[in-house]
Amino acid sequence: MVDLNEQTPAQLLMRDMGLTERDIARRRHIVGLEERDLTRIASLNELMASHVDEYTTAFFDYLTGLDEGRLALQNTAIAHRARQLKRGHLLAMVQTDYDVDYVAQRLELAMLYSRAGLELRVFLAAFHRLLKVIGDGIMSRFEANPSEGFETFMSLKKVAFFDIGVIVDAIVFERERVIRQQQDAIRELSTPVLQIRERLLLLPIVGVIDTHRARMITESLLRSIRASRAKVVVMDITGVATIDSRVANHLIQTVTAARLMGASVIVTGLSAEVAQSLVALGIDLTKLNTIGDLQGGLEEAERLLGQRLVTVEERGRSSASVEA
Amino acid sequence: MDVPILKQGDVLIASIQAALSDQDLIALRDSLASRIGRFRSRGVIIDLMALDVLDSFATRMIRDIAYTARLRGAITVVVGIQPEVAFAMVQLGLSLEGIATALDLEEGLAHLSGRERKRAARS
Repeated sequence: MVDLNEQTPAQLLMRDMGLTERDIARRRHIVGLEERDLTRIASLNELMASHVDEYTTAFFDYLTGLDEGRLALQNTAIAHRARQLKRGHLLAMVQTDYDVDYVAQRLELAMLYSRAGLELRVFLAAFHRLLKVIGDGIMSRFEANPSEGFETFMSLKKVAFFDIGVIVDAIVFERERVIRQQQDAIRELSTPVLQIRERLLLLPIVGVIDTHRARMITESLLRSIRASRAKVVVMDITGVATIDSRVANHLIQTVTAARLMGASVIVTGLSAEVAQSLVALGIDLTKLNTIGDLQGGLEEAERLLGQRLVTVEERGRSSASVEA
Repeated sequence: MDVPILKQGDVLIASIQAALSDQDLIALRDSLASRIGRFRSRGVIIDLMALDVLDSFATRMIRDIAYTARLRGAITVVVGIQPEVAFAMVQLGLSLEGIATALDLEEGLAHLSGRERKRAARS
């Protein structure tokens, strides 16, 4: 069994992106890598071994020649590591083993770029520069047979595009990860459970309810019921613009779950449109205790808790009448 | 595993401490049914605080206990359902329809004594 802790960040990213052995094989197929190509690429082994430092330098010189690239590689530790990985990349490129390990190495470099904030267009330009330099090397080697040299270069280019595909996907995925995290944060912020009285919770729901969010609402409500020993919950859905049958079922589930924990739920704020659409959809809402507005809901909650709101004046009068 | 059934005045308290086999649940149902008659109990509390899972058979047995108890003249309150358990039950479409629930043992007892008071006030 593989211990999760032993996986490198690149392997974790690979798992998150769903890059499997099969997917990688598919990617090789997409760029058109064939047996022929592999044989040609293998013939570049010697050239690459003797010129790898030159090519690596060409790539980074081009990057640092651009303002954007220089900014991203300001950190010497990152620049050093990137150089190291790039060198490994060039050597691996001609080894013709484009498998899981190879992709993991590409991802490691991609994560480094994304951490350094290297823009894709800058990276692509530098990559193109690199291919140009390697192409020059190949052509000078195949001086006697330029057309074979061109074919060999095109074979290597397939690998290059295979790499670009992986790296672009990884950088985009990393960027979207931030978006996903922000979405989670927004979701969490938008479902507060508020205690407004001893044993009385208010759950205002605003916005769109999807399955994921409904689940989070239910979970946080149940936890709050336990934590604050709530007996009554007022769920206000004034801020929910539309309700379809799925959302209605989510609401019913939340109410049922709260009841299992001994809390009764009052639903308030069903607008006229929502109520009409629910009736039109034929959803059975008899399980729900609904009250028109939030004020009515809170009054009903107080009644359930055996409390009654009285003004100071009223209290003075009632206690005076008891004394009399 | 036998479930201990405690008698507290008019109320029988069955506190389930570990996951029960189907046989255990049937045994619990039978012994509660007979004790309600013997002790002339007016309330039954089933405490599920220690359970972290409740399957459909257990849910059905709890419902059976509640309905049996009602026919024998006692009200059943199910208490201590954990948030995770409640959520899982709802996902499975299980609910304790028509059975009183409360947060914990204390709440359950308060619910039963509240009912008693109302009954006394009526008579």
